[in-house]
Amino acid sequence: MLIPNHPDDERLAALASADADATADAELTSHVASCARCAETVTELGALRAALADLPDLRPHRPLRLLTDATDAADAPAPGGADRLARWVRRVFAPVVTAGAALAMVGLVGTTAPLLGAGAGGAAPAFQDAAQESAGGADAGGEGVAAPAASETDERNGEEGEVMNLNTFDDRQVEAGRDGDALTTLPAERSPWPMVLFSGVALVVFALLLRWIVVPRAG
Amino acid sequence: MTDAPERSPGSRTPPLPDEAAVIERAAAGDRTAFTQLMDHYQSACYGLAWRLLGDADQAADATQDAFLHAYRAMRSYRGGVFRSWLLRITANASYDILRRAQRRPASPLPDPEEGAPELPDPVAVNPVVEATKSELYRHLEAALQVLPPDQRTAVVLCDVYGMDYNEVAAMTASALGTVKSRIHRGRLRLRELLAEHRELFTG
Repeated sequence: MLIPNHPDDERLAALASADADATADAELTSHVASCARCAETVTELGALRAALADLPDLRPHRPLRLLTDATDAADAPAPGGADRLARWVRRVFAPVVTAGAALAMVGLVGTTAPLLGAGAGGAAPAFQDAAQESAGGADAGGEGVAAPAASETDERNGEEGEVMNLNTFDDRQVEAGRDGDALTTLPAERSPWPMVLFSGVALVVFALLLRWIVVPRAG
Repeated sequence: MTDAPERSPGSRTPPLPDEAAVIERAAAGDRTAFTQLMDHYQSACYGLAWRLLGDADQAADATQDAFLHAYRAMRSYRGGVFRSWLLRITANASYDILRRAQRRPASPLPDPEEGAPELPDPVAVNPVVEATKSELYRHLEAALQVLPPDQRTAVVLCDVYGMDYNEVAAMTASALGTVKSRIHRGRLRLRELLAEHRELFTG
């Protein structure tokens, strides 16, 4: 609590600095001359100033670039610009990489989740059916590849399935391949997730490249 | 916040013995002479930058920026105390970084505890006096870093580096009255912060 009779502390600080307006203030100086508390404040502030004026120089924590690099930069067409750019890149590097990685992760999850779901719910049973039905006769490899088409065709053709399997293998493989492509690529083309994944990866790669190019290596 | 700086031996850097001649050569474009000057005064510049910024890396950046500015301005150097001239350039470079940092609220404020420089034991000329001084420096540096940036800047420039009110006002683009008020409030705050260690500076 400030006692009304005492001058404001800032006035005392001004007196301690020997500011002209404070030293010329007769009321202030006479109060300080007769008030032990205020006189102590002024003395302490004066001692504090002296201590501050006596603070030593401080040694850098790492060697500084003194001239060679500095003047090379100074002589460059855009002096200081490279340094400023490097500092800016250093500052934005971590947030950009984090954002890119997050984007890539979201894109990856978005891209793979529907495929995994389709794999678990649709393609796998069809593959198993085909494998079971063709296990009896067809020794030609490739049922796995031809699986989705093979399962339906075999059911329709009954005993002839084996012959059909052998004779029409190539055509059906192509057909099945086409079907397979359609199954896997159509949703992916419509989905935005691969683009998100690509953008995230591109952002990370771009940030890494920029840092590598712009920021000078320690050494 | 990174490593705290060490106290440079011999308190404040004195002028070079043949400083006028070195300055003349540097002003004429002699890189070796300029390097000699920067090497000699780097602790002075770094100390100022560290006290204004409270961060070792930013202080190193500011000091190097100041060297660049000094190199460019060397030809137009018109005499006066070289150390003061160089410190003004360093203060401007540091203040630029400080202003940019203040515009970005995300930038971390210096931690006063970590920011306190670890001063090595002084040479044992007078162990009692030197140890007391070292202790005082440590507390003063820590207290300075607790001040709000505006007050810290004003107190450091005026009280630690002896700039006058007008210089500080011009450098910080502030009114003279504002600068005075910042200095006074800063000193009062320092006094409060150092209340427990009063005996160190009132001795």
